[in-house]
Amino acid sequence: MLTLALRNVFRHRVRTTITLAAIVFGVVGLILSGGFVQDIFLQLGEAIIHSQSGHLQVAKTGFQAEGTRKPDLYLMQNPERLKARIAALPGVTEVMARVSFSGLLNNGRSDVAIIGEGIEPEPEAQLGTYMKIVAGRRLAANDLNGIMLGQGVAQALKLRPGDPATLVMSTTTGATNTLDVEVAGVFQTFSKDYDAHAIRVPLAAAHEAMDNQGVNTIVVSLAQTHDTHDIATLLRAQLANEGLEVWTWEELNDFYDKTVKLYDQQFGVLRLIVLAMVLLSVANSVNMSVFERVAEFGTMRALGNRSRTVFLLVTIETVFLGVIGASIGVIVGMVLAFAISAIGIPMPPPPHADLGYTARIQLVPSVIFGAFVVGVIATTFAGMFAALRVSKIPVVHALRQAI
Amino acid sequence: MIVRIENVTKEYPLGEQTVCALRNVNLNVEDGVFLAIAGPSGSGKSTLLNLMGCIDSPTRGRVIINGKDVSDKDPDALASLRARSIGFIFQTFNLFPVLSAEENVEYPLLQFKELTASQRRQRVQHYLGVVGLSEFARHRPNQLSGGQRQRVAIARALVVHPKIILADEPTANLDHKTGGGILRLMRKINRRTGATFVFSTHDRRVIDMADRRVDLEDGEIVRLGVRRGKEWAYAMERVNDSDADNEEDDA
Repeated sequence: MLTLALRNVFRHRVRTTITLAAIVFGVVGLILSGGFVQDIFLQLGEAIIHSQSGHLQVAKTGFQAEGTRKPDLYLMQNPERLKARIAALPGVTEVMARVSFSGLLNNGRSDVAIIGEGIEPEPEAQLGTYMKIVAGRRLAANDLNGIMLGQGVAQALKLRPGDPATLVMSTTTGATNTLDVEVAGVFQTFSKDYDAHAIRVPLAAAHEAMDNQGVNTIVVSLAQTHDTHDIATLLRAQLANEGLEVWTWEELNDFYDKTVKLYDQQFGVLRLIVLAMVLLSVANSVNMSVFERVAEFGTMRALGNRSRTVFLLVTIETVFLGVIGASIGVIVGMVLAFAISAIGIPMPPPPHADLGYTARIQLVPSVIFGAFVVGVIATTFAGMFAALRVSKIPVVHALRQAI
Repeated sequence: MIVRIENVTKEYPLGEQTVCALRNVNLNVEDGVFLAIAGPSGSGKSTLLNLMGCIDSPTRGRVIINGKDVSDKDPDALASLRARSIGFIFQTFNLFPVLSAEENVEYPLLQFKELTASQRRQRVQHYLGVVGLSEFARHRPNQLSGGQRQRVAIARALVVHPKIILADEPTANLDHKTGGGILRLMRKINRRTGATFVFSTHDRRVIDMADRRVDLEDGEIVRLGVRRGKEWAYAMERVNDSDADNEEDDA
């Protein structure tokens, strides 16, 4: 029966080609659209990691929930030992400390409320590959009075690299302190809101202004993003009894999860639409081919085959079609994905962002497998429907169709 | 008796009307006969053949094949019966276009699980030899002439060693000479193997070769004939206008 089914598949080459084209088109569509969505997830994730969060952050318990309002209550003193312990873990590339503060930035004429971070310039430069420097330069280790401004802050205060400014903030004891700074550079991240309030100064300058040597977070950068959860689990086990908590970049940015869920749902709907399109176009061509062969099925049954044999034959034929079409679709989809990725798709900035990006098509095994399965299932369903109908035709009626 | 038809009536719906294709038909088909069912179009020849072939069921009455009443058997049981007891030869040959001649002949044997592949091949070669197509075994139907295709169909019908072979207008799609050759071949097989052949036909030559004839009209048997030499002895004859017309046609 398998031989008969396979030969029947290639009996009408033009029709088989048209049917295969419909399956290939659907599978390619799913691979490209799925790969595009996966690229959005990947690029958004990497943008979050490499412009703000790092892969992991270690902080005193409660800091992530309450610390933004009172960061000075969650300071870790002498973080060097902790940093060294974390740096010794496999897969960790950079470990850096940050201290958070809030205050005002003054250009001599007006103030803007800011959310500031004291950072270690060198490891942050390694981590911050998605932070675009739109003017000036990054902070350097010896920039004791340097400051980097988010693009929104720079625009609000009309500050450019080389301009002086005054940072007004509180010390940990509640006294007001000022820090005279010089704009080293202006940065832009994927988040317009962040850029409207963020400034960065060297950790040493922040310590001096806050009159405290503590840090709020230890930011961890990993060689591979997919190691995040494993290393987080390891760290959590090590730090559980030390009053510290470990947050992954996904936990720190819940909008990422929401974005993934939103796009996943949209992609799910798209997958259903493609499934329906493949199903309808394949059903049409399978129906035509099956109903032209009604007399043949009548002959099979006259020769002693049961109706379920006819059903099985047609179903096997369509499974063959589905597997062949979906396999070709996977190959074509992968080739196209490579080609499109090599060229890149220039994308405008997403909502609430200033930075456009170059989209690519990610080849994700689950997406490719899903597209293959959708292609095979849609074709099989289309074939089963025709098979069911044709196997129910009485033998006498079927034989009358012979020409 | 290989087939008995007892008081069989076959009705089928046609739009809002019911058409009676066969009316109270009684017929016995003896083992080994070469029987022609004759009659004008719409007389019920094919319906009678379909009932004998268990591919249709009577509205009333009984069809008994090889001593077993098949009227109330389920479709699967009928399929098994067809596979082992009945061979079909069709007007349009009905070969599978994607299979070679030998694969077409082998096809019904695939249901015979007791046969090994080599036993199947032996049988196929034998029957292709019987119909004179050994050298065309690997040819597909579209590479064969009409006559050759019908020979393949005959081999396919014979290969299962059926109790009865039903042939529905087997010469209708063949030219005169080829049709004659096919009929002579079937007659030869009938004489040599004792296989029972039942034809529905318009073809005068089939009736000339037959040793039994059944004439149908409007779903009823109007004549049952047994050959006596070159003449027909009628076991039953209903005389009416259309019979007279048939006689004129025969003349």
